Amino acid sequence: MANGNEVVTVKQRTISGGSVSEADLPAGVVAPGRAEIAESPLAQAIRRLRRSTTALIGVAIVAVLLFVAIFADVLAPLSPTASDQAHTSERPSWDHPFGTDQLGRDMLSRVIYGSRISLAVGVSSVLLALFVGVPLGLIAGFYGGKIDTGVMRAMDLILAFPIYLLAIILMVIFTPTAGLIGTMKVTGAIAIVRIPIYARLVRGSVLSVKEKEYIEACRALGVRNSWILIRHILPNCLAPIIVTTTLGIATSIIVEATLSFLGLGTQPPTPSWGWDLKANIAFIQANPWLSLFPGLAIFVTVLGFNLFGDGLRDALDPRLK
Amino acid sequence: MRTYILRRLIEIVPTVLMITLVVFVMMRSVPGDPVVALLGDAYTEEDAVKVRHEYGLDKPILVQYTIWLGKLVQGDWGTSILSGRPVLKDVMIRLPVTLELIALSMAVALIIAIPAGIIGAVRQNTWADYTATSVAMIGVSIPEFFIGVLLLLAFSVGLGGLLPSSGWVYLPGTCPTMLCGVSVWGNVQHVLMPAFALGVGRAALLTRLLRTSMLEVVRTEYVTTARAKGLGERPIVFKHALKNALIPTVTVMGLQVGFLIGGAIVVETLFAMPGLGTFGIDAIIARDYQQVQGFALITAFAFVVINLLVDLSYTFLDPRIRYS
Repeated sequence: MANGNEVVTVKQRTISGGSVSEADLPAGVVAPGRAEIAESPLAQAIRRLRRSTTALIGVAIVAVLLFVAIFADVLAPLSPTASDQAHTSERPSWDHPFGTDQLGRDMLSRVIYGSRISLAVGVSSVLLALFVGVPLGLIAGFYGGKIDTGVMRAMDLILAFPIYLLAIILMVIFTPTAGLIGTMKVTGAIAIVRIPIYARLVRGSVLSVKEKEYIEACRALGVRNSWILIRHILPNCLAPIIVTTTLGIATSIIVEATLSFLGLGTQPPTPSWGWDLKANIAFIQANPWLSLFPGLAIFVTVLGFNLFGDGLRDALDPRLK
Repeated sequence: MRTYILRRLIEIVPTVLMITLVVFVMMRSVPGDPVVALLGDAYTEEDAVKVRHEYGLDKPILVQYTIWLGKLVQGDWGTSILSGRPVLKDVMIRLPVTLELIALSMAVALIIAIPAGIIGAVRQNTWADYTATSVAMIGVSIPEFFIGVLLLLAFSVGLGGLLPSSGWVYLPGTCPTMLCGVSVWGNVQHVLMPAFALGVGRAALLTRLLRTSMLEVVRTEYVTTARAKGLGERPIVFKHALKNALIPTVTVMGLQVGFLIGGAIVVETLFAMPGLGTFGIDAIIARDYQQVQGFALITAFAFVVINLLVDLSYTFLDPRIRYS
């Protein structure tokens, strides 16, 4: 077995005519004399990421947001849904740092709890799209032929739609509701819209990778297709997948906020930034703070993921800088 | 070239058919139908069945679609069940508002993005570049409606209500009925904030793209050649580099049309504008089948036509690209 691998390595080296990177070697083979000195691609990426101030700011924002969302129960001074009729539409004060809305609910608590919906929908919709889109792209690219045509036709159909039109109609079909179920509906609608992005991305990478000599070598060795896909092809698509996912969370959070703004996101009483912003625009003359804070929260969250994603892209693929 | 354009124009038909068919089927799988809203409190199952039969809503979906299509070919976009108004007429009344909004927001985007992207690339790693890239980063992270709210706070709430917060005044000659406000200045006042709200995000995105592709282009050999033959920096940037760098930017601008349509819905809702965006969202929420079909038809058509224009613009930007 070891001999067989050695032969493959040598053959690969002569064919490609260049140096062999770690990723190009078949599983279990360590490039002689290089493993000890060379940094793994992951370590290199982390080192590059740590050098970028903007990326670190992004990581910090995301970390703080995760903390706020997880510990919302502890951090929020009041219940986000408890209305205090004696204190309605108040401007920011010591008791209510972000003011209160027309129902007398504490805006700070609503913004803190709103982070849960925003992050939950943003992250889970992208992950859902990833878990459906990546296998579709892998299969379409690897097997080609009719499977490829079928899958990509379906993806093109989704992409042929202006994305908001599709998301809006999907939400009308799902009928927006409050609470966890409502959140899951929004997640599903956004995920469906984002699946083709992953399918296309992965299919493209697979097409370029599958003709490489080391995949041919795997085939010659009799490696199963599923193993080739997961162990040898997927790792080559990981960098763009990670970057697309991070930046995709930012986009999904904007789409969620936009759907909420149009009244088609998670329904009240569940606190949601988009909905709060929209609900308070009617009172913008009397109390501008009320629509300012939820909007700022959306902006900071999206900025955090965008900075992090940009940093990751530069770190994972320096050629793209 | 002519045959290419012709072929592309013919290809528009199946795409538009597909989009309208999918919307048709999806809308009819939405719980509740317009008949429920039409009958309102007087709703009885008997009446509903009668009304559904009257409008042909009891036929199989594909038959309904074929009927819709047959009328469309004759120039009849159908009549809204809820308002009783012809859909084509409503679409034509609202189209100029949205066209003006989108055209102006694209103009805002280009006026900001082209200089900012060039400065970012030509003066890479200077304070000018850092300012352009930071502002662009902030710009891509703000949703349109929040930019709109900030503009409202600045110009409608603050500054003594300099700009109106909602409504619309038509340009002379575009007023579709006898009853609308017409004035150039009024139109400018009403369109400024929405156009900026929609344009700033695009400007930020295009700035980032243009900067990246400019950075790539200025390192290519033909730019070095241009420098070597003694050409000044200005013609190199504007005549040689910019055109090539614009190709990816134009592609993305075309892809952005999908976002612009969504953005128009949001911005028109925020500023209460009588455009196609508010028409579409109201129709979808009210399940007004005929109006939704009209909205889907016009957006699908705009979407594919703009993508065709994008492909054609490549031949202008890079004459080596030819279609046959």
